[in-house]
Amino acid sequence: MKSGLAQPMSVLGIEIGDVHTRGHLFDIVENSYRLIASSSAPTTSFYPILDIGDAIYEVLSRIQEICGRTLIEKSGELILPALPTGDGVDQFYITTSCFSSLQVVAVGLLNDVSLDSARKLCNATYANLLESIGINDRRSYSQQLDTLLTIRPDLVIFTGGTDGGASRSLLRTAELVSTALQLLPRGTRPQILYCGNQVLSAQLKDVFERYTTVRSAPNIRPSFEGENLEPALTELDALVMEKMNEEIGGLKRTSPLCTTPPQLKNQGFMRMIKFLGRQYDPLKGVLGLDVGMNYSMAAYSNDRVSILNTFNFGIGSGLEAFLRKGDIKDISRWLTFPVPDTVVSDALWNRSLFPLSVAATKEEIAIEQAVLRQMLQAMMIDLESREIMPSSRFEPIVLSGCTVSHVADPVRSLLLALDGIQPLGISPLILDKHSLLPLLGTIAAHNSLLAVQLLESTAFSNLATVVNITSKTRAGSPLLYARLDYADGNSFEVEVKQGSIISLPLAPGATGLLRLRLTSRAEIEELALIREPIKVQGGVCGVVVDARGRPIVLPEDQGRRIELLKEWEFLLGAA
Amino acid sequence: MNAQLTQINPLTLIHRNRLLPVPGSVNVREGQRVAPEDIVAEASIPARHYLVDVVRALSAKTLSAAEKMITRKPGEVLQKNDIIAETGGLFSRVIRTPGEGRVVSVNKGRVLIEAESTRIKMQAGLAGKVTQVIPERGATIQCYGALIQGVWGNALLGCGPLTTDYESLSGELKTSAIGVTSRGAVLAGGTCSEAFLAAAAQEKIGGLILGSISSSLISTALELPYALIILSGFGDHGMDELSRSLLATYIGRDVSINAVKWNRLTGDRPEVYIPLEGEAHAYEEQAMYTSGQTVRLQTGAYAGRIGRIESLLPGVTLLPSGLRAAAARVVFGENLREIIPLSNLDVIFSNDRFIGAPDEGGVLWH
Repeated sequence: MKSGLAQPMSVLGIEIGDVHTRGHLFDIVENSYRLIASSSAPTTSFYPILDIGDAIYEVLSRIQEICGRTLIEKSGELILPALPTGDGVDQFYITTSCFSSLQVVAVGLLNDVSLDSARKLCNATYANLLESIGINDRRSYSQQLDTLLTIRPDLVIFTGGTDGGASRSLLRTAELVSTALQLLPRGTRPQILYCGNQVLSAQLKDVFERYTTVRSAPNIRPSFEGENLEPALTELDALVMEKMNEEIGGLKRTSPLCTTPPQLKNQGFMRMIKFLGRQYDPLKGVLGLDVGMNYSMAAYSNDRVSILNTFNFGIGSGLEAFLRKGDIKDISRWLTFPVPDTVVSDALWNRSLFPLSVAATKEEIAIEQAVLRQMLQAMMIDLESREIMPSSRFEPIVLSGCTVSHVADPVRSLLLALDGIQPLGISPLILDKHSLLPLLGTIAAHNSLLAVQLLESTAFSNLATVVNITSKTRAGSPLLYARLDYADGNSFEVEVKQGSIISLPLAPGATGLLRLRLTSRAEIEELALIREPIKVQGGVCGVVVDARGRPIVLPEDQGRRIELLKEWEFLLGAA
Repeated sequence: MNAQLTQINPLTLIHRNRLLPVPGSVNVREGQRVAPEDIVAEASIPARHYLVDVVRALSAKTLSAAEKMITRKPGEVLQKNDIIAETGGLFSRVIRTPGEGRVVSVNKGRVLIEAESTRIKMQAGLAGKVTQVIPERGATIQCYGALIQGVWGNALLGCGPLTTDYESLSGELKTSAIGVTSRGAVLAGGTCSEAFLAAAAQEKIGGLILGSISSSLISTALELPYALIILSGFGDHGMDELSRSLLATYIGRDVSINAVKWNRLTGDRPEVYIPLEGEAHAYEEQAMYTSGQTVRLQTGAYAGRIGRIESLLPGVTLLPSGLRAAAARVVFGENLREIIPLSNLDVIFSNDRFIGAPDEGGVLWH
C-alpha cells in the first residue's frame, strides 16, 4: 500500500459496479474538500476484456478532460502521489459492488437463536442463504446430508451453542458437515466460517481443516440474549472480497496502488450511515437506501443500533429476481399513462437483459421509476416485517444509488422516494446526487475529513423536509393548517386536505419555523413534539406536507389513478 | 466507448469450451469429430444417501459391539436386500439394504450408503472437431459455420434440420405450421403464442428459434422439453431482418442451439450454430462504436430493429427522458433517423458478407 501524505490534497475514488465503473476526483477548494469531477464508463471486467483496467483508464481519461489535470502518465500508469505541478493524485481508493453473491448454508442449533443470527449475518452482506439446518430440523440425517450435497454452497456458516454451552449437539451437527465435505469432490467443497461456541472452536476447526479452508470468528450468539455479528461479518465480507478479487480481472493488480485495500460497497455505505446515525436524533435513526443494478442495500443506524440489509435485486440484471417474485400490476399502477401490463413487463425484462441500456423516452424512464418505487417499498416491507429497526421514524432518509439519484427532476425523485418508502412523522430526505456514500465510507477509514466535508457539500442535496400526516377521513377533508415563518419575517400559510401533497417554498440551506394546527381527525407520529413550532431546513422541493395517508392507496380504476398521480406531480410542481 | 457486439455471422470460425461444473471423465480425444448430441464429458454427483444406525436397529449395547455386527466396508457395492449387519448366533437378526447402493463410510456404528448419484452429461452442443481436451473437465470444439447470438435461452441444447419459411420468420408462428415433419426439427419464427409452445412440445421438436417472445411466457418457456432461444428480446417485435435472411438461406440444413443463459462475466450466451464447409477467420470480439456500423436496438419503440450509425454525436446528448448519455444518429431504412443512446445499441458483426439472394430478402452487410 502507498502511504498517504501528512496533508493529502487530492483524492481519487473509483467505484467498480457490476455495470458501470465510476470515478470521482476530490480536492481542496477554499480549505475544504470538494468533488472536482466525476465520470463513468461501462465496467470491463466482463468477457471479452476481462480486466477492470480498461474501464478505469477510460474514466480517468474523461476526468482529465473535464478538469484539465493529468492523472495518467504516457505509460498508462496513475500518477501517485501528486506532482508539484498538481498532476496526479495523493490518495487512491477503490470500492466494489458484488458481482455474484456467496451461496451459503447455515448450520447451527436453534432456529430462533443461532440460525436467526446466521440469517441476519447473510442479510448484511452479499450472501444468499439457501438453506438452514438445525437440531429441530425434521429432516433425517441423510436428507440433510443430501441437501448439503445437492446445493454445493460456496460457504457453510457453522454456528450454534452459547459460549461454554451445548457441545454434544454441536459435535453431532459437525459430523454431518464433515461427512458432506468428504463426499464432495475436492475443489467443489465449501469453505467453513466457524462462529459458534468458542469452547469447540479449535477442535472443530481441526476437523474441518482436513477437508477445506476454515475461517473462524467469535460466536455470533455468545449468550442466549446477546448477539455479536460484527466480527463474523468482517470475515464474511473478506470472503466475498476474495471472491471479487478472483472475479474482477485486474483488481488484484490495481489493489497495491490503493491507499487502503479495496472494500465492498456495502461496508462503505454502512460506515457512513453509522457515522450519520451518531449525529442525528437518537430516538429516530438514519435510514440509508441504495438501489443498485444487481443488489440493493438498506442501512439503519442510531447511537446504539446499526443494521445493514442487502437485497438480491436491483434495476439492472437484478431485475430478474424482482420480477419473478412480484406482480407486474404493482409496478404498472404507478404509471401516469395507460400502458398494457405486458408492455411494462417486456420493457423491464429487456432491461434485465441489457443492464447498460439507458431510458431514452419519457415512457421508459417512467417505467423505471415505477419499478424503483416498488423496490423501495419491498425493502421497507421486509425491514418492518422482521422488526429489526427500533424505530419507524427516520431523520434523515438518505437516498443513494445511481438509479435513484439520476432522476432528472428533483420533484420526481422526491415523489418516487415518498411513494416507495412511505415514511411516518417528520423526515428530511437527502439525495446523494453522485452516489458517493459507499466510496466516502471507504475513504473515511483513512481520510475522515474528506467524508465529513463532502457530506456538507453540494454533492448531497436536501430534497425536502417532509411532514407525513395520517388520517382516516375522506379525501378532500381539511386536515391541518401549516404556516411557515421565514427568517426575513415573511410567512406562508396553507390548508392541507386529506389525500393531497403540498410544498411550502423554503430554499436549500435556509431554515424556517413550521407551525402545524391539526384538526382532530389527523395525526402525525410525533404529535407531542409539534405543539411547538418546528425548525425546518429547506430543500430543493421546500418543505413538503404529505397527507396522502399510510399506506398510500391508489384507486383501482386506471383513469382515476392516473388523474391522481398527475395531480400529485402537479401539486409539487413537477416539470 | 466499447461497443456491445452481437454476431449474426454467415461464416466464421467458432471455438466453444464445453466444460463440466465438477471434475469428471472426458469421453473425446483431440482431433475427433463430434455431433451436437455427443457426450463430451460426464461426471457423477452424489445425490441421495441413507444412514443405517446399527446401534439402534440391532439394539447393540456398545459401539464396538455394533461395529462387530457390520459386515460391510467403505466402497463395497450393494444390491437390494444385501445384509449390512447381523447380530450372529442361533436367532441372528439382520439389517438389509432397501435398494442398490455403495457404502460410503462406516463410523460409530453407523453405515452411510450412497443410494443414488446424479449423472451430469456435457453434450458437444455443436458439430465440429475437438481441438483441445481439458482433463477431467471437457473439451474445446471448433467448427466453421454461421453463428447467430441470442439474448435469452431456456438452458437446454437442441439440434435438427431447420424447418421454416420466410413468412414464419417474418411473423408469428402458427400452430398449423407444426406437422409430422416438425418432429426432431428446429423451427424458427418471428414470435409465437403459448399454444404454439405447447403444440411444439407435443410434437417433440428439436428446438425453437424466435426473434422475440412475450415476457409473460418466460415461466412456460423454462418448463419446455426443447431448447428455446430468443434472438433480440422480449415483446412482439419479432425477428430482425439480418437473422431472418441468414436463417432463410439455410432452411433444411442441420442447426444446433445452445440456449444457455447469458453470462456477461464468462461471455457464455445463447447461440445458434449452422456448420458449413469453407474456412473463415475468427470473429472480432471487441470494437468501438463508429459511424457506418450496423446496429440493432435493444429496447424501446424500435427494439429489435436493424439500423446503421450515421454519426456519433459529440459529448453527451440530452434525451427526451431527461437523462444525458453518449448517443448516435441512427438511420433505419431509407429516411427514418433517430437519436439513440450508444448503450442501447448492439453492433452487429457479420464479416462483410452478403447473405441470401436479394429476392429472398437478402441484406447487404456493412
